[in-house]
Amino acid sequence: MSAESTTAINRSIVDLLDFIDWSGVECLNHNTAHSLPNAIKQGYREDEGLYLESDADEQLLIYLPFTQVVKLHSIVVKGPEEEGCLIGPKTVKLFSNREHMGFSNVNDFPPSDTAVLTPDNLKGKPVVLKFVKFQNVRSLTIFIEDNQSGSEVTKVDKIALFGTTVETTDMKGLKKIEDNH
Amino acid sequence: MVLEATLICIDNSEWMRNGDYAPSRFQAQTEAANLICGAKTQLNPENTVGVMTMAGKGVRVLVTPTSDLGKILACMHGLEIGGELNLAAGIQVAQLALKHRQNKKQQQRIIVFVGSPIKHEKKVLEMIGRKLKKNSVALDIVNFGEDDEGNTEKLEALLAAVNNNDSSHLVHVPPGPNALSDVLLSTPIFTGDGEGGSGFAAAAAAAAASGASGYEFGVDPNLDPELALALRVSMEEERARQEAAAKRAAEEAAKKEKQGEQQSSSQDVTMTDQDSVPASEADDKKKTTKHDEGLLQEAIAMSSTPSYPSGRDTNMSEVAEDDPELALALQLSMQDGTKDAPSHSDMSQLLADQAFVSSILASLPGVDPEDPSVKDVLTSMQNQSEPQEKKDEDKASKEEEEK
Repeated sequence: MSAESTTAINRSIVDLLDFIDWSGVECLNHNTAHSLPNAIKQGYREDEGLYLESDADEQLLIYLPFTQVVKLHSIVVKGPEEEGCLIGPKTVKLFSNREHMGFSNVNDFPPSDTAVLTPDNLKGKPVVLKFVKFQNVRSLTIFIEDNQSGSEVTKVDKIALFGTTVETTDMKGLKKIEDNH
Repeated sequence: MVLEATLICIDNSEWMRNGDYAPSRFQAQTEAANLICGAKTQLNPENTVGVMTMAGKGVRVLVTPTSDLGKILACMHGLEIGGELNLAAGIQVAQLALKHRQNKKQQQRIIVFVGSPIKHEKKVLEMIGRKLKKNSVALDIVNFGEDDEGNTEKLEALLAAVNNNDSSHLVHVPPGPNALSDVLLSTPIFTGDGEGGSGFAAAAAAAAASGASGYEFGVDPNLDPELALALRVSMEEERARQEAAAKRAAEEAAKKEKQGEQQSSSQDVTMTDQDSVPASEADDKKKTTKHDEGLLQEAIAMSSTPSYPSGRDTNMSEVAEDDPELALALQLSMQDGTKDAPSHSDMSQLLADQAFVSSILASLPGVDPEDPSVKDVLTSMQNQSEPQEKKDEDKASKEEEEK
């Protein structure tokens, strides 16, 4: 129900990929051969051969700062096609505006939202989030706690974030305007 | 130039009293730790290094990661030896200390010295290793002390668990004459992951080996291209000069040998010819030894007189005059070209040793090593050591013939 009302107000819900500040992106416990850009970057994430994979165990911690303040509406997490229902992520916790989290302090404070992914989600169906909790997001931490089958390794094919931007001044975009209006 | 926060874990257990690494295991460790601190801070000025102990009364962080080298060196003093190594707790505390580093952009690295038996199980170490990998902490292990099979196995398992893309290393240092720090200099712990630390390592190796570290003239052409060029040019000029001097000497040699008396001229003195070597020169050898000493005395006497004309024969000497270090380097470079097999007499060897003589001369007030007279004396003594050695060989062969 809430999903319908939000879709009604659908004004300019965009893919927030353009607003990710790549210089501050971090990912913990990922396999270096299968790293974060594979799951997020345009083009990479559509490619099935490129995915994000966890390393020492099945958890993953992803930190995404944004270049401006955004409101987060929904998120798509896609697992790999064939084995997606097995080793795609299950419990995903989202923390907004928390910097430099580590695996040891993920449980120290409550997440802004938790999503338990179904195989449908893993095929590409977006998970709508509690919009009210994500009104003022400067950075997002995604904690993938476990996967569908409890295997040692978690694979993520694609992560996409949807939402709107807030009117924040992008300092880089500031240009001197000619005084002729 | 990787930005890194390093934590060095020192093993100060009872086993460190052992003297199989000179002077004692503990001191060898401290030296190595100091060297590491210097290397890391040189690699990148924003690097921080911290120190902690793993044995003693308990695991204790002595210095939290800081770029202040003085603080790190100071805390190494007054460390006590005792207790048993607690590797697991040590690594975990190190990880915690790194987690709370000020600059979160730094990569995390732990360097552990292990010189005593590890009481933990392999599984425990593997779990710790995995946790480190998960939090992207690199681990370098220095395994010294007894060749303990159990230890090696456990440490290798730990390394396998931690290692992510070859960023972690395990180094075994067997007991022996080489200092712990020297052995470590050539390992990836110092050389970073290929790039970066090689400059420092090369310089330190040069200092340790007290000689050219593979570079000509002992100067890295990358670090100081002008100095390297200057040395090369001066070496060539010296060679040319020495050849001319040798020719001159060959002419005067026969005459002077017969005379066999001391000369105080600034010319090449008593240039004993390589070729004509009669057996009776056993006495001459002694004389020339004393001769060298006399020459030195005379040179010193001459140089202590004031109003010293400075030699301007080459452009190099002009430059070198201003820079005593360059002068010394020039002397060294001359010596490099003519270094030979060891000779009998220590004294003559010492005097023939350019570096030694020039260092003596340089330390004397009023002596200008660039003065041509002094230089000639030096070259004569040095040329003398060559023919002297040949002389000795010939003498020995002649004695055998006579038998």
